[in-house]
Amino acid sequence: MFRLITGGSGSGKSSYAERQILQFVKERMLQSPGRNLSKNFPCLYIATMKPCGEETQKKIGRHRGLRAGKGFETIECYQGIDKITLPQNSGVLLECISNLAANEFYEEDGTLRDRQETAEKILDGVRHILNQTDHLVVVTNEVSSDVWNYSYETQEYTALIGTVNQQLACMADKVTEVVYGIPVPVKG
Amino acid sequence: MKQGETDMIMVVGGAHQGKRRFAKQLYPDIPWINGETCGEEEIFLCRGIYHFHEYIAERMREGADLSGFSERLYAKNPDIIIVTDEIGYGIVPMDLFQREYREKTGRICTELAERSEEVYRIICGIGMRIK
Repeated sequence: MFRLITGGSGSGKSSYAERQILQFVKERMLQSPGRNLSKNFPCLYIATMKPCGEETQKKIGRHRGLRAGKGFETIECYQGIDKITLPQNSGVLLECISNLAANEFYEEDGTLRDRQETAEKILDGVRHILNQTDHLVVVTNEVSSDVWNYSYETQEYTALIGTVNQQLACMADKVTEVVYGIPVPVKG
Repeated sequence: MKQGETDMIMVVGGAHQGKRRFAKQLYPDIPWINGETCGEEEIFLCRGIYHFHEYIAERMREGADLSGFSERLYAKNPDIIIVTDEIGYGIVPMDLFQREYREKTGRICTELAERSEEVYRIICGIGMRIK
């Protein structure tokens, strides 16, 4: 099962996504009686937000608090998820595409890499994870529903996320838009 | 004119969501005009328009009077298929023109959606019929 969760900022995507992955793992455990859940079916959280400055630290802290005590193992991976190796039978939560896309798209000096190549790299990364697990939840972000009054770089970034989201939704078994904590089914 | 008397169809959603592709799958054989570049009168004669929000922006830049625009549109072209960005789903812009354009587009699209036979909202390339 591959699920894609989308929504605006502060919409409750993360906690919804967490509940989904924990549910997956629980169901998997129930199908295999007599086994230790956390040992055999680890819940991995792939964190893509690069800590830089107080604001991101605060966000990361908030998310860590949300996950605390739920049995998640956190892997920080700001770039190159196509190289990641995961333990077997993991439930994986990847959060989130908008951070990963920014990290992959912008060079250190602020210039942009090729948009199509970046989209392909991100999608290859997700395929690479899907080859290692059948329990993946990906969180992405809606960033394109306002007045189109952005810099060239921001327009390119928005287009990149749009392309990646369309492809991910195509691959996903289920797509959900979270609106102020309410899950709205989009696909599946 | 009441709802049900037109065959107006709207396809809405954020930028880069695959709206035009979706609309062209629904109506593969009709000619489309581009709201960014078409003339003021072309909209009353066309079958389908994409970048409709840009049509509104363009008219506002020209200083055209858009009061009663939706009434005129469904009087003259009740079967039009409109593909438009959904805007106003984010931070209120600093710029006055942008604020007015955003508001105007919202009002016009709301009026048109009210009269439309079908409205689809596209997210991540997937269309949901919301009306």
